[in-house]
Amino acid sequence: MRAASRPRQANPHLGAYYGIITSVFVSLVICLAMLEQLGWQETWLGRTMMLAPLVLYLVVALGTRTLKVEDFFASGRRVPPVYNGAVLAAVLVGGTGFFAYTGTLFFLGFDALAIGLAWTTGLLVSGLLFVPYLRKAGAYTLPAFLGQRFRSRTLRATASLLQLPSAALLLAAEIKIAALIGVMFLPVSYQLAVAAVAAMITCVTIIGGMRSLTWTASAQFIVSAVGFAVPLIIVSVLYTNLPAPQLTYGEMFEPLKRSEIVAGISPSAPGQLATALPSAQPKPSTKPFLQAFGAISQTDFLTLFLCLTLGTAALPSLLVRSGVTSSVADQRRSVAWGAFFVALFAISAPALAAFVKLLMFQDIAQSQASALPPSLKDLSAYRLVFMQDANADGTIEASELFIARDGIALALPMAARLPFVCTVLMAAAGMAVALAAAASHLFTLAGSLADDVIRLVAPRSGVLPRLVVVWVAIGASALSTGVFLALADIDVVQASISAFALAAATFFPVMLLAVWWGRCTWIGAILALGLGFATMAAKMAYGDAMVAGQFHLTMVVAALIGATLGLIGGLIASLLGPKPSPAVQAYFEELRDPASDALYDRAQRHAAAASQ
Amino acid sequence: MSEQAARNRHRWMTLLLVIATLVVALGAVVAVVAMAGPLNQIDFLRFPLGFYLLAQGLLIGIVALAFWSTRVQERIDRKLSESEEL
Repeated sequence: MRAASRPRQANPHLGAYYGIITSVFVSLVICLAMLEQLGWQETWLGRTMMLAPLVLYLVVALGTRTLKVEDFFASGRRVPPVYNGAVLAAVLVGGTGFFAYTGTLFFLGFDALAIGLAWTTGLLVSGLLFVPYLRKAGAYTLPAFLGQRFRSRTLRATASLLQLPSAALLLAAEIKIAALIGVMFLPVSYQLAVAAVAAMITCVTIIGGMRSLTWTASAQFIVSAVGFAVPLIIVSVLYTNLPAPQLTYGEMFEPLKRSEIVAGISPSAPGQLATALPSAQPKPSTKPFLQAFGAISQTDFLTLFLCLTLGTAALPSLLVRSGVTSSVADQRRSVAWGAFFVALFAISAPALAAFVKLLMFQDIAQSQASALPPSLKDLSAYRLVFMQDANADGTIEASELFIARDGIALALPMAARLPFVCTVLMAAAGMAVALAAAASHLFTLAGSLADDVIRLVAPRSGVLPRLVVVWVAIGASALSTGVFLALADIDVVQASISAFALAAATFFPVMLLAVWWGRCTWIGAILALGLGFATMAAKMAYGDAMVAGQFHLTMVVAALIGATLGLIGGLIASLLGPKPSPAVQAYFEELRDPASDALYDRAQRHAAAASQ
Repeated sequence: MSEQAARNRHRWMTLLLVIATLVVALGAVVAVVAMAGPLNQIDFLRFPLGFYLLAQGLLIGIVALAFWSTRVQERIDRKLSESEEL
């Protein structure tokens, strides 16, 4: 007999709530635009635009506070697919994608397209291979799913530990990006900005776990979409007369090519992937935007694409959201919506990079070093670019213009001489998406770890002790990441790529075997996890020594090797060992049934009924 | 059709859909990357075609594929539940 499940319906007023949030934010932007025309100082415009949305997010988080376990870990399993898709996109792109991907596109042009393409393909792969089955299982965390699938606490504990590095790297990268934006527009030091960002995401995550995280991230998605689109559309209208930058920036390619030639940018030969990705330090742009495979080779393009695709598909911070919708079908739809929103950003980002490059190089091509155009002076004032007439010929060439990778998105409104409110709008958008991603990574890192540990140590603990342990873990994780960032410097692109590579090597093979192969045993699963992670650990420990002639073992290649080894190891260990128990096989069979409620929820109801 | 036969059919149809979708998506990406040079010689909406496909065309195709596979999978799932109800 099946235990009765309660119907799960989304809040019917969600559309109205988010309509109000959008109206409030748009009204704020319009008010600030009017105040700018009335002579308000840029300093105050920046501070208001940075701080007011933070208040909005905190209000949303407070309104969605919860002490219910199912709400805290799975948002009550009633998030509509479109909202979950929006949050998936915000978490995947994050502040790193918003600022560093647009910057990487600026420097690498064509060659950087592998990243956006991989994000979208990764979501497709995840939606096909893993997400519906995770929703059917209903486990609150990825390690919990593996533990339940193979009835193994050892596997659950191992997976819990191995998901820490990738989540921690992404968390550090997102906090750093948000703090850097804060420092630009608020009167705070970098350390204080890191502490404030860590405190903000800790509050949001502690107040309501996945529930508050989902609804604040939905608001942050709206802010980031408005903030990214408005300046880009204005620039598109100014230069191409059409409000569709994605369709019209092709018109800019001829003038862009001419400007690049005048500025001295000539076709380049591809280098190693390890050194081709631009660093955060300002550097000159040396590769023509449209040149195919001028920075990385065709093979490196494909390996980067494959690594990021597998990493996206198996990223714990995305998979942890696999239980928040009301059914398997809704969860599948939500991933398709996620792919749609990510693709929208990935299609728009090259337009932004192309416009910035054209505006910058058009300006320097037409001016003398002694009389630079005001747009370049503005960019220089915000330390987004600096110039040095090294050969003293009276002009600035491309090699003498040093550009900050992570400032390209902010450079668009400045280079186009738009009102300052557009610059701070873009900054608020980047801050919003960075906060959404950081909170999600923090929840994955701390919430999952704490719940995994308490379920291992005290499986029958009550609601409050369970939540208290999670709150402590969230606070401790945010604090330790903040201290780490205050003391150490990381490159957000390298950190993000390493995190995706770790997820690809560690979790892709084990998830593939767990979901699609009934013969897989817990020993095979542990070996799949361990071999992938060990390959990445070996690369990190001895990476520089692993060079053979032209071949340089990058994190990206190591991830693909690790994933392959993990898959083969898991297959062999499972085949050589004893067959899985009937209970494990029955669980595998039930995973394939798309109907009925989540297996975890059903087990919980049976346990509750049995204890009465 | 017996319940077990319906379940087997559901499993094979699901697997076929997954493999077909992945082959189409990954195959298209690999083909465009391999042919990017020659494709860039062709103009499409004022973009070099190779650039356009990697920047927009494939992304649009992958999103369409995601929604299409979702619909087909729902149809496969519905057939299973109908046969279980009979």
